[in-house]
Amino acid sequence: MLTHNLWLAWKSVRRNPILSFLIIAGIALGVAVSTSFVTVWHVLAKDPIPGKSDRLHYVRLDSWDPVQPWDEEDNAPPPLLTYQDMRAAMKSDIPVRKAAMAQTALYVYPGSPDQRPFREAVRLTFSDFFPMFDVPFQYGSGWSPAADAKPEAVTVISSELNERLFGGRDSVGERLRLADREFRIVGVLAPWRPKVLVYDMSQNPYAEPEQIFIPFNLFEPMALSATGNQITWTRVDGNTFMERARNSEMIWIGMWAEFDNAGQRQAYLDFLNAYVNEQKKAGRFQRPLNNRLTAVVDLMEEWEVVPRQAKALAVISLLFLVIAALNLIGLFLGKFLARASVVGVRRALGASRRAIFLQHLVECELIGLIGGACGLLLSLGTLALVNRYYQPAGVEEKFFTLDPGMMLAAIGFALLAGAIAGVYPAWRICSIPPARHLKNQ
Amino acid sequence: MLKMENITKIYRTGLVETRALRDFTLEVREGEFVTITGPSGSGKTTFLNVAGLLDAFEHGHYFLDGADVSRLSDVQMSRIRNEKIGFIFQSFNLIPDLDVFDNVDVPLRYRGLPAKERKERIESAVARVGLSSRMRHVPSQLSGGQQQRVAIARVLAGDPKLILADEPTGNLDTAMAREIMDLLEQINEAGTTIVMVTHNPEHAARAHRQLHIADGRVIDFERVTPFPLNRTGAESRQAAR
Repeated sequence: MLTHNLWLAWKSVRRNPILSFLIIAGIALGVAVSTSFVTVWHVLAKDPIPGKSDRLHYVRLDSWDPVQPWDEEDNAPPPLLTYQDMRAAMKSDIPVRKAAMAQTALYVYPGSPDQRPFREAVRLTFSDFFPMFDVPFQYGSGWSPAADAKPEAVTVISSELNERLFGGRDSVGERLRLADREFRIVGVLAPWRPKVLVYDMSQNPYAEPEQIFIPFNLFEPMALSATGNQITWTRVDGNTFMERARNSEMIWIGMWAEFDNAGQRQAYLDFLNAYVNEQKKAGRFQRPLNNRLTAVVDLMEEWEVVPRQAKALAVISLLFLVIAALNLIGLFLGKFLARASVVGVRRALGASRRAIFLQHLVECELIGLIGGACGLLLSLGTLALVNRYYQPAGVEEKFFTLDPGMMLAAIGFALLAGAIAGVYPAWRICSIPPARHLKNQ
Repeated sequence: MLKMENITKIYRTGLVETRALRDFTLEVREGEFVTITGPSGSGKTTFLNVAGLLDAFEHGHYFLDGADVSRLSDVQMSRIRNEKIGFIFQSFNLIPDLDVFDNVDVPLRYRGLPAKERKERIESAVARVGLSSRMRHVPSQLSGGQQQRVAIARVLAGDPKLILADEPTGNLDTAMAREIMDLLEQINEAGTTIVMVTHNPEHAARAHRQLHIADGRVIDFERVTPFPLNRTGAESRQAAR
C-alpha cells in the first residue's frame, strides 16, 4: 500500500504543480537553513581529534594567587604553566608523549634576494608534538628527542611557507634563517588546517596553525620573548623575558600529555600532586591542591570552545524550520480539502479513516522529502559559500561539509517538516464524514 | 439482506434539528431489487447513506447480511462497505485522474487483494460493461453513460452482496439510462440485492418492489414484479456463475 500511496502522492504533486512548488520551496528553505547552521555547529562541536581525544590531556597546576582564585566561579586552575613548573612536569616519563609549547614571532630571512624578510608566528615545542596531534607531513618529519635535548637549530615549516620560500619543492635539508640563526629544515607539513586548534585552545581555538615550528629549548639560548598570553599575580622583575619568567609566577606555557590508559593518567597526576606538595613546603602553591589533567573534549566544553552563538543559531534555525512547516499547514489544508469529494468516494469504496490519513501523510512526507532534497542542495551551496570565506588557501579538505550523519539529519528535518505541516490537514481530511461530499462531486 | 428497525437520523445545525429519518423501518430480502421514490428532502439519500454505513444514526437497529452493524468501529464499517456494499451514484463519482483500470482497482486495493487477482477481476468487470477498449481512458475522455458503466464495473469487480444506487440514471439520456437499467437488472438476476433511489417511474417499475418515502418514513410500498421468495440471492449468484 505504501508504494501505491507514493504513486498517488506523486500524481497529486503533478496535478497541482504551482501549489506543490510553493510547499516544496517552503520546506527546502527551512531544511537548507537548519541543515547549514546545524552543520556549522556540528562541525565545530565534534571531536576534533577522534581516536586520540580521550588520550590527550591538558596539564594544569593551580599556582595562582592564594588570595584571589583564577576562576572564582568554577575554581578551575589557570590555563597555562610557569616556566619552572613546565620544566618539572616535563621531567616525568609516565606520559607516553608530552609536549610543552609557547608562541613567539621571528623574522624570516628568505634565501632569495627577491624576497624581503618578514615576521612570522613561530611555535616552540617538543618533538612529541607532531605525533601527538597527528600533524601530517609532506616531506621529512619532526625533529628527534635528541634535537630537543641539545637543542639543535632545526625547524618544521608549513606547506604554505614552503611554497613561498622554495616553490613547493622538497626543502628538507635546506637552510632557513630565523632571527639571527640558521635553521635546518627537517620537515615540511602537508596542507593542515585543523578545525579546532586543539593544542592551543586557550587563545583563539579557530586560529590557523603557525607556519614555523622550532624546539622549545631554543627559547633561552636565542633570548626569545613569548607572544602569547603572559599573565602573573606576582611582581615581575628582570631585563629579559626569561629573567622575568624565572623570577615570577608568570604563566605562559601550555602543555599536553598523552596516556595509553587511565592508570598512567592517575600516576602522572600523582606525580604532579607530589611535585606541588613539595613546592608548597618551599612556600609556593599556597592554594588548595587543584591540579588537573583534562581530556580534549572536556576541555573544549569547560572553555566553551564552541561559540554559544553557533549553538544558538542551530537552535534558532530548527525553530525556523518548524515555523516554515507551520506556515505550510494552510497550503496543505487547502490542497487536501479541495479533493474532499474524492476522499468521500474512497471512503465509500472501503477506505478507513486511517487509510485516508496515511495516504495524505505519505503525500506530505513525499513533498517533505523532495523539499529536503532541494534543501540539501541549497545547504551545500550555503556551506560552499561559508567555506569560501573560511577556507585557507591550499587546504583541500573543506571545513564545513555535510557528513553522512548530517545528510541523514537533513532527511530527518525534511520528514519532520512534512509531518508538522501535514498531520493536521491529513487528520482533517480523514475526519470529514464521507457522506457529506459524495453528492457534490 | 438489509433490515432497519426504528432508525432515527437527526441533522443538527446550530439550534435547528432536522429529523431526516423517523422510526424508519424496512426489510430488503437477499436478491431483491427495490426502488425508492419520494420528493426531495424526504430522506432517500439519508437512507442510502445510513444503509451504506456512510453516516451514523441516533436510534434504532440496522442488520446487514444477518449481522448487527448499528455500532461498529470505523475500520469495521469500512471493511463492510468494501466487501459487502457497492455504490452507484448519479454523478458517477469516478476519480478524475485515474484511468478506467485504476478506478475499478480502488476498492480492490483497500481489500488488499494480490495484484494478479485484482487484474483478473478488473478485466472481467470492465469486459462485462463493454469497455475493455477504454481501459486506459480517464473519465474526462468518456461519455456519461460510459462513466456510469465504469462505476458499475467498479461495483462488479468487488462482487458485493448489496448495491446501493442513488439515481444512477439521473444524468443520462433515455437510451443510455435504459442500457444502465438493463445492466442493473442483469446484475440483480445474477443474485445481487439492489436498492435504488430514482425519480423515474419507468425505472422504478422495473424493480420487484417500489417504496415511497416521505418525511423520513416509508409510507407505502407496491409490489411490481413477483419476487421468487423460494430462491435465495446466494443461490441466484451461484446459478449465475
